[in-house]
Amino acid sequence: MNLVETPLMHTLSRALDLTSERQTLVSQNIANIDTPGYKSRDIDFRQELQRALAEEQLPEPAPLVREVSGLIERPDGNNVSLDRESLLMAQNQLAFQVDVQLLRAEFNRLQQAINGGSGQ
Amino acid sequence: MNLFGLFQVSGSALAAERVRAEVATSNLANAETTRTPEGGPYRRRMVVFNSRPASQFRLLLAGAFGDGGLQAGGGVRVSQVVDDPTPPLRRYEPGHPDADASGYVDYPAINPVQEMVDLMGAERAYELNASAVQAAKQMIQQSLQILK
Repeated sequence: MNLVETPLMHTLSRALDLTSERQTLVSQNIANIDTPGYKSRDIDFRQELQRALAEEQLPEPAPLVREVSGLIERPDGNNVSLDRESLLMAQNQLAFQVDVQLLRAEFNRLQQAINGGSGQ
Repeated sequence: MNLFGLFQVSGSALAAERVRAEVATSNLANAETTRTPEGGPYRRRMVVFNSRPASQFRLLLAGAFGDGGLQAGGGVRVSQVVDDPTPPLRRYEPGHPDADASGYVDYPAINPVQEMVDLMGAERAYELNASAVQAAKQMIQQSLQILK
């Protein structure tokens, strides 16, 4: 058993990877908001996280990027939704912050354990 | 995963939207221009946006893992600036130096309202991409806090 890398750290680092990948996709969708024929792309976060955690080997394969279904298409063939992308961007940012805070807390706990529970 | 790649994606969109705004402004400025270096009246210009594929490196990396699907990380670029094929508007102004034999002057077929709408669209899209850059910046700063 690895003492320094706890299972929670492993999970959080995968979640951070996927969150930044998703942020790249959101940025890409926003960048192409006026490109004729462009279709919104996204990843299935939950499924990709499960897949990344099940994978033993490193580095794990890149997440599967899909076109988003069920969006209203404009006459020029573009289906980027401004509201969807803005909300997703905010949500992603907060999710990233949560993961970072949890990771910091975990490192602090580890530090505490190293110091025999006598604080920092 | 590379958070710095976000700057390239959003940055390409900022550049593209700026070109779009420049073209719309140039159309507005030249709404009454009857002489150009190419001869004839000014012709209305339009930008054509094209989504940019992910960088070569990312594509190679994905290929190495046998993942031939869609990729994240491409931005947008202005593939070309084209002339509007609409014929010029003809106005009867016999005293104008550019009037033809029958007294008509060719003016560019520019609709100021259309250009203003395009300009506003470019401005809003620019703002949106700028906030995406802010988001990326904040995420990078947060990830630095793990070190503290």
